[in-house]
Amino acid sequence: MSTVGDWNEAASELDAIVASFDEGEVSVDELFVKLERATAIIESLEARLDATKAKVDELAPRLSRVLEGE
Amino acid sequence: MEDDYSEPDEVLEVGAFYQLLTAQLESAFGRRHPRWVRGEIAKVYEKGHVYLDLVDAGSASSDAKRPVLNAHCWATTWAPLKKKLATEGVTLSAGLIVNLFGYVDLYAPQGRIGFTITQIDVQGLLGDVARRRAELIARLSAEGLLEANKKVSISPVPLRVGLVASPGTEGYSDFTGQLLHSGYGFQIVLVKSAVQGEAAPAQIVTAIEVLDGHGVDIICVVRGGGSKGDLAAFDDERVARAIATCATPVFTGIGHTGDESIADLVAHTRAITPTKLGEEIAGIVEGWRARHVRLPAQRVLDATTAIVDEATEYVAERRRTMIFAVRDRLRAEQRHLASTRAGLLVHSRHLLTSSAQRLASHRALLGAYDPTRRLAQGWSIVTNRDGAVVRSLDDVTVGDVVSVRVSDGTFESTVDTKTGVAP
Repeated sequence: MSTVGDWNEAASELDAIVASFDEGEVSVDELFVKLERATAIIESLEARLDATKAKVDELAPRLSRVLEGE
Repeated sequence: MEDDYSEPDEVLEVGAFYQLLTAQLESAFGRRHPRWVRGEIAKVYEKGHVYLDLVDAGSASSDAKRPVLNAHCWATTWAPLKKKLATEGVTLSAGLIVNLFGYVDLYAPQGRIGFTITQIDVQGLLGDVARRRAELIARLSAEGLLEANKKVSISPVPLRVGLVASPGTEGYSDFTGQLLHSGYGFQIVLVKSAVQGEAAPAQIVTAIEVLDGHGVDIICVVRGGGSKGDLAAFDDERVARAIATCATPVFTGIGHTGDESIADLVAHTRAITPTKLGEEIAGIVEGWRARHVRLPAQRVLDATTAIVDEATEYVAERRRTMIFAVRDRLRAEQRHLASTRAGLLVHSRHLLTSSAQRLASHRALLGAYDPTRRLAQGWSIVTNRDGAVVRSLDDVTVGDVVSVRVSDGTFESTVDTKTGVAP
């Protein structure tokens, strides 16, 4: 399975997969392949999001201290 | 021209002459006959007593013949008068027009006529002070000096503060306390100065000039509340011009609410008290911090939160969508298969039923043509020696032996005759 691209590329690919489901273009044979790919993309996005949230949680208090005038 | 004099009847010695003159003056203008005299102060000198040179108002100093009245006020009279004037913010100075009440005296050792002051018209003097103040403001305005210092640009973060003040005074403490407790790193450069009294204007001017060359962001002139006399230095023209022409923005915090000196008028920014001035300067720094530090920080924080929230919602929504899409797709396939299966069953049953019906029909039809049933009814089947069924007279010849099958067996028969049947 190919690697997942950056956030925008991954989101575009995921949107395309969802659109193909919405339009009923997915055959049963393709279903598993597309689901597997979509799952990989979502897990990748969630992992990146968790990492970003962790960094934000670390930095946000420092910004808050600036706002509170410390 | 003939001289018009005669031998003197009486020749006076100088001292006697002065005695006579003094008596004459005292009878007309002496202590018992005091008078009001109005004039413009040309010179002032004070050393316990105060000495004034009084001239006609508006007379030119270059006029060597203008009358001058040498007035003086002895210390015992002057001390309470001076105190009263000081509370009103009035200091006797050249140019003031005053009404003096007093009497004439003659100082024989110097041959001078003097005027001993016993009263000063304070109200009139106040009016003149106000007039002179208004004239000074008008002059400064005409020269563009009321606005000059206001046009000087101010540092966005004025942390280097030049201070003209008298350490230990309430105004000094109030002002510096505001800066020190603001939490910002103000750097205060103090040039000490008297802030009241005759020496104050010159010292204030010097302090402003020193600080102007010191590279501070702003210069603050600070003085706590007091009587008008205490604050008179800040109405001084020299101070006003020093502030107006200063290349550094000058802020004033002078007196208390209601006081407005000429220094306030020409200053870049004025506050009503030293405390308020400190607050205002700290407020400028705080405002800068709010605009350039806090606001961007808030925007970054908000944007970050929004992006993370949006991304979180996006991924969650896509996860849900994928789960439902796959489930829906599988269900659709299941429904399709189930439908197909059901259709096949119905179709098969129908096919079986129709086949059975067709078979029964054939069986019934076949039954109708069953030869055994015909044989049982009395019909027979004739075949020749070759086994072929005899259907016509032409199939046999007289004398032929044929085989006749009936319901329960077969017998042979010989053809004797052939008789046709009429059509």
